[in-house]
Amino acid sequence: MVNLILVSHSEKLADGLKELLAEMAANVEIHNAGGLDGGKIGTDVSRIEKAFSSLTDDAIILTDIGSSTMNAEMALELYTGDRNIQFKDVPLVEGAFLAAVQSGQGLSVEQIMQALETEFSK
Amino acid sequence: MKLTTEGLKTALLNTADQIEKQKDELTDLDREIGDGDHGINMSRGFTAVKKELEDKDSFADLGELSKLVGMTLIKTVGGASGPLFGTVFVKFATKWNGKSSVEGDVLYDGFKEAADGVAARGKSKAGQKTMLDVFEPFTEALKSDEPLETVIENALAYTKELKAEKGRASYFGDASKGLQDPGALSSSILLRQIAEVLNG
Repeated sequence: MVNLILVSHSEKLADGLKELLAEMAANVEIHNAGGLDGGKIGTDVSRIEKAFSSLTDDAIILTDIGSSTMNAEMALELYTGDRNIQFKDVPLVEGAFLAAVQSGQGLSVEQIMQALETEFSK
Repeated sequence: MKLTTEGLKTALLNTADQIEKQKDELTDLDREIGDGDHGINMSRGFTAVKKELEDKDSFADLGELSKLVGMTLIKTVGGASGPLFGTVFVKFATKWNGKSSVEGDVLYDGFKEAADGVAARGKSKAGQKTMLDVFEPFTEALKSDEPLETVIENALAYTKELKAEKGRASYFGDASKGLQDPGALSSSILLRQIAEVLNG
């Protein structure tokens, strides 16, 4: 089942979103790669890389603003593993809802990326 | 104008010292039109760079040095500046790999690649009140006879008056006019140190 990686500046924001998603798609693996050490606000490549190393399947990354997007793209460029990990620059909450529900239905990374594209290019 | 491995190393050590001196100024600027952590982030990053440079006796070439600096910045600066300043050095490495001294077109190509890399990473272009408004004029000046110091001064003055269209500062709109962009200022610190070794 496709994993989701949430990269928010706030770890709490990503945790809250995780709770919301659990209601819709309880079985989908969600990784929180948000915030900095000590609960500080920010994003960091190494937290995203840590999420990469704990994936149980292919994955989609979703981000909030500015640096989270840059750090996600940077982490992807540096990634040398075998998982198919894709990033989609769409609204974090809405995008994660769509992706989680679709993943829960067993769709592939490509299918979910397509669904996000269709939904958010309207 | 020539940039050697040793010259770049010197410029980076001097940049680390200068960032430390201007740390509070960078953070204060960022507090006005950003999230108030730029000085702290850059200081953390360049302190880490300084340590790496002091721990390693010598570098094979500009490529090896640039790559190490780029990866260190990416991993330690955080925020948007980590990927952006990291990209500068990672791109230098792609053009200067295997070279221990560059000048003329090869020198220019490294800076051009870096500026293009920053533009791509930040989905930005010159004129949006970012570090690019200092990096791009500096890069083009490498092809002219204009003193690099003057080019950096003018670029900073110009950037200050622009309206921010990228990053957190863009949410401030017209209120960002007349306030210096922290990323442009820290870029000028780095480029001044590089200009010094180029002229030396």
